[in-house]
Amino acid sequence: MLTSQFLTYVAFFVLSAIALIGAFLAVTLRNLVRAALGLILSFMGVAGIYFVLEAEFVAIVQVIIYIGAISVLILFAIMLTRGLMTSAASTQNSQWIGAAFVGMLMFAVLFFVAITTNWPLAQPHTISDLIPRLGADLVTTYLLPFEAVSLLLLAALIGAIVIARE
Amino acid sequence: MPILVPDINLRIIAPALIVTVTAIVVLLGELVTPAERKRWLGYLSIAGLVVAAFAAFSLWGANASGFSGMVVADNFGLFLTLTIALSAALSILLSIPFIHAHEIDQGEYYVLLLASVAGMIVMATATDLIVIFLGLELLSLPLYILAAFQREDTRSLEAGIKYFLLGAFSSAFFLYGIALVFGATGTTNLAKIAASLAQSAGSPMLSIGVGLLMVGFAFKVALVPFHWWTPDVYDGAPTTVTAFMSVAVKAAAFGAFFRTFQFALPALALDWRAVAAVLAVLTMTLGNVAALLQSNVKRMLAYSSIAHAGYILIALVAMSANGLSSALFYLLAYTVTNLGAFGAVIALSDGARERLEIKDFAGAAREHPLVALALTICLLSLAGFPPFAGFVGKFLIFGAAVETGWAWLAVIGVLNSLVSVYFYLRPVVQMYMSEPAEGWSGIRVAPLVALALLIAVISVIALGVFPAPAIALAAGGLIR
Amino acid sequence: MDILNNLFTNIYNAINAFLNGLLGGAGLRPDAASAIVAAIMGLIVGTVVLLFGVGVVLTLIWLERKVAARVQDRVGPNRVGPFGMLQPVADTIKMFIKEDIVPTNADGLVHLLAPVIALAPAVLAFVVVPFGQGMQPADLNIVVLWVVSVSSIGTVGLFMAGYGSNNKFALLGGMRAVAQAISYEIPQVLTIVPIILLAGSMSLVQIVQKQSTLWYVFVLPVGLIGFVVYYISALAEVNRTPFDQPEGESEIVAGHHTEYSGMKFGLFYLAEYFNFFIVCTIATTLFLGGWQGPFLPSWLWFLIKTYALILLGMWIRMTLPRFRVDQLMKFAWQVLVPISLINIVLTGILLMFFKVG
Repeated sequence: MLTSQFLTYVAFFVLSAIALIGAFLAVTLRNLVRAALGLILSFMGVAGIYFVLEAEFVAIVQVIIYIGAISVLILFAIMLTRGLMTSAASTQNSQWIGAAFVGMLMFAVLFFVAITTNWPLAQPHTISDLIPRLGADLVTTYLLPFEAVSLLLLAALIGAIVIARE
Repeated sequence: MPILVPDINLRIIAPALIVTVTAIVVLLGELVTPAERKRWLGYLSIAGLVVAAFAAFSLWGANASGFSGMVVADNFGLFLTLTIALSAALSILLSIPFIHAHEIDQGEYYVLLLASVAGMIVMATATDLIVIFLGLELLSLPLYILAAFQREDTRSLEAGIKYFLLGAFSSAFFLYGIALVFGATGTTNLAKIAASLAQSAGSPMLSIGVGLLMVGFAFKVALVPFHWWTPDVYDGAPTTVTAFMSVAVKAAAFGAFFRTFQFALPALALDWRAVAAVLAVLTMTLGNVAALLQSNVKRMLAYSSIAHAGYILIALVAMSANGLSSALFYLLAYTVTNLGAFGAVIALSDGARERLEIKDFAGAAREHPLVALALTICLLSLAGFPPFAGFVGKFLIFGAAVETGWAWLAVIGVLNSLVSVYFYLRPVVQMYMSEPAEGWSGIRVAPLVALALLIAVISVIALGVFPAPAIALAAGGLIR
Repeated sequence: MDILNNLFTNIYNAINAFLNGLLGGAGLRPDAASAIVAAIMGLIVGTVVLLFGVGVVLTLIWLERKVAARVQDRVGPNRVGPFGMLQPVADTIKMFIKEDIVPTNADGLVHLLAPVIALAPAVLAFVVVPFGQGMQPADLNIVVLWVVSVSSIGTVGLFMAGYGSNNKFALLGGMRAVAQAISYEIPQVLTIVPIILLAGSMSLVQIVQKQSTLWYVFVLPVGLIGFVVYYISALAEVNRTPFDQPEGESEIVAGHHTEYSGMKFGLFYLAEYFNFFIVCTIATTLFLGGWQGPFLPSWLWFLIKTYALILLGMWIRMTLPRFRVDQLMKFAWQVLVPISLINIVLTGILLMFFKVG
C-alpha cells in the first residue's frame, strides 16, 4: 500500500469516527445546546470526509452552510426558546423499541447493499476548472431546478414570516 | 469562456410560470391592499389560475420537452395541471369567505397557496427526479404553513408542526431513494433511468432506492402504513386548506408517482407491482374501516381520502394505458367531489364556528335543502353510486385492473366501496332523518361558497352522466 | 532586491532540500520519505505562521494602546521596554499566571472549549493568506471560500462562551455576537463576489496576480463600493467599535467573555486581534493588490498595506461611538446587503459591456 493511500484511510476512519460520535451525541444528549454542538461536530466530520475525497468545494460549502448557517440558527432558536436551555427532557419515549427495530432493519438493509454492490471505482482525475463548470451547469443544464430552489426558498421565507410575526 | 446558452423554453413551463408570477403579484399587492379589500387578492389569484389553465390547454398535444429534459409538457402532465388549477380555484372560492370569517384573511394565504400550486404543477410535469423532489418540497412547504395558518388555534399549529416533521422525514426518505437510484443508474433523468435499466439488470442498491422512493410518495399521498399524519393534519388544518390538500396534493404526487414508476421503472415492475398491490389493499381496507369509527366529518373525510388513495394505487398496479387514463379521470372526479363535500361542510358552518361533528348535521335538510342535497350528491359520489363521477372513476379503475389480470384487487376494491357506503351515508341520514338539535336559521351561505358548491356539484353530475369527453381527454393523457 | 524578495521562499526551499537529502539517505521508501518531509514542512510552516500570528497580535495590542493614547492626547504605555513595546509581553505573562475561574453552574466542557473554538478558525484562515510572492502557506483553488467558511465557525465559539458561562450578560453578548456575525457575513461574502468575477478565479494568489496593473479598489465604481462595504462589514464581523455591541461594557459588562479569566480570556483576546488582522489581510489581498508594489519586497508591501488598514480601523474605533443594536441590524440588512447586491449586478454589466478587469 502506498503511504498516501494509507494516510487517506487513516484520515477517512478518523473523520468517520468524528462524524459518528457527533451524530451519536446529537441524538442522545439531553441538553439541547450540547446536542446541537454534537451536530456541529458531526457536520465537521462530514466536511472532512469531503476533503479527503478531494471535493474541496463541497466540503467548504458544507462548513459554510451546515455549520455557519444552519447549526448557528438551530443554536439561536434554542437560545430564544425559554426554559429549553435548562430542561433535560428525555430523549426517548415509549416507542423507542419499535423505532430501534426499524432503524436496525434499515441499517441491515443498507449494510447488505453496501457490501453486495460492486462499486465502480472512479478513475482518479483532477478537474482544473471545477467551479466555473459548476457555475455554468447551474445556469444551463440545471437551470430549472436552480430556479425552483429559489422559489422554494422564497416560499419558505414568506412562510417563516407568516408563522413568526406578531 | 464561451457564452453558454441554456435550453430555455418558457412555453413548456408556462402554467407554472403564470402561477408563480401571480403569486408574486399577489404578494406585492398585499402591501397596497387595505384590510377590507383582501378578497380582491383572492379574485386575482383565481384569475391567474384561469390564465394558467388556458396556457395548459393551449399546450395540449404539444408533447414538448425542455430545460435539458427536466420537464415535459405532455398531455398527462397537462391534464393534472388542469385538475390542480381547478382544485386550487375552487379552494380559493371557498377560502375567501372562510378566512374572512376566521379573521385570518392575509394576502399571504393566497401567496402560499399559489406557491404550492406552482410546486404541484412542476411535480406533475417533471421528468427528472431532482425536479420531482423540488416540486414535492415546493408543494409541501407552503402547505405546512397553511395547515398552521390559524395561529390562534393550537390544533391548527399542531397540525402544521406534525405535517412539517413527518413531511421532512418523508422527504429525507425520498432524497435518499434518489441518491441510491442515481448511484445504481448514474442519472436522475427518468428517460435515461429507463434506458439504463433496459440494458442492465437491477441491483440491490437500485431496489432499495426504488423502495425508498415509494416510501416518499406513499407518505405524500397517505398510503397505509405511512398515513399516520393524515387524520390529525386534516382535522387540525383550516377546513379550506384541508379541502385543497386532500385533492391537489394527491393529483400532483400521484402524477409523479405514475411517471416515475410506470415510465422510468418498468424493468422492475414485477417487484414494485406486488408491493403496490399490498399497499393498495392495506390502504383501502384500513382507510374505510377507520372511517367507520369517526364521529367528526373532517376526520372521516381524512380516512376516506386515504381509502381513495388506495383505489388510485390500483390503477398504478394495473400498469396499462387504461390504468393511467382511469387514474387521471379518477383524480379529476375525486377533486370535484371532495371539494364539493368540503364546500358543503363549510357552507353549513356558523360564522367562525364550524359544525364538524356528524351529529351537528341533524336536520340540516329542513333549513338548507340545497346544501344538504349537494353534500348528499358528493358523498354518494365518493361512495361510488351511479350516476355520479365517483362511480365512473371506480368503474374505470377496477376495469383496468381486471383487464390486466388483477381481478382480485378489483374485487377487494368493490368490497371496500360497499363498506364505505355506511359511513358516507351517516351524515346524509342525520341531515334528512333527524330532528334539528339547534337553530339553523341564522346561517347564511356565502355567495362564493354557493358558487363553488354549484360548480362542484354540476361537475360531479356532468362527469357521472356524460363522462365520455373527460375520458377521451384522459385517454389522450398518455405519458410521452 | 531579489534576495530580499525571495528571502522566505529561499529559506523554505533550503529546509525542504535539506530534509529530503537527510531522509533520502536513510533508506526509506521514496513515497514514505516524501510524506514525512511534507509532514515536517507542514509542521514548520504551521509553527512559523502561528508564531508570526502571535507576534502580530502582540504588536497590535501595543499599537492599539499607543494609538488610543495619542488620539486621547496621552502617552500610553511607556514603562516596559522602549516606548513601552514590551508591555504586551508583560500582559501575556500576567494572563498566564492569573487564576482560572469557572462559575459554579457553568457548563464546564462548553466553557472550556469555547475559547479554543473561537481561536481555531482564525488560525485556520491564516494559512491561506498570501503574505508575499510565493509565500502562501497553503493554496487551494477556492481559498476565498475557505476564509469565509472558517470565519463562520468562529461564531460557534462565541456562542458557546455565551451559553457555557451560565450568565445572562454572557448569553446576551453571545446572542448579539451571533446575530451580528450572521448579518454582516452576508454583505461581506457578497462583496467578494465582484472580485471573483473580475479575477475569474477564487484563488487568492491569482486574484493578487490579476491586480498587477490595477488594484481592484480602483476599478470604479464597483471596486471602491466593494472595498468600503467589505471593510465596514469586516469591522462588524470582528466586533470592533463601533460594532462592539456583543461586549458593550456599558450595557452587558463584557458580553460573552464576562465569565472568563486567565488564559481562557487570553485566547479570546488573541482570537479577536487575530481576526482583525485576518480581515485586514484579506481586504488587502482582494482590493489593494496584495503584495503588488514597486521597489520594496513583496511581503513588505503586503504588511504596509495591511497595517494601513489596521490603523484606519483603530482610528475609527477611537472616533466613533457605538451603534444601537437595532440600528446595527438595520444597517446590515437595509443598507449593506442591497448595496452589495447592486454591486454584483454592476460588476456583471461592466464585465459584459466594458470588458473591465
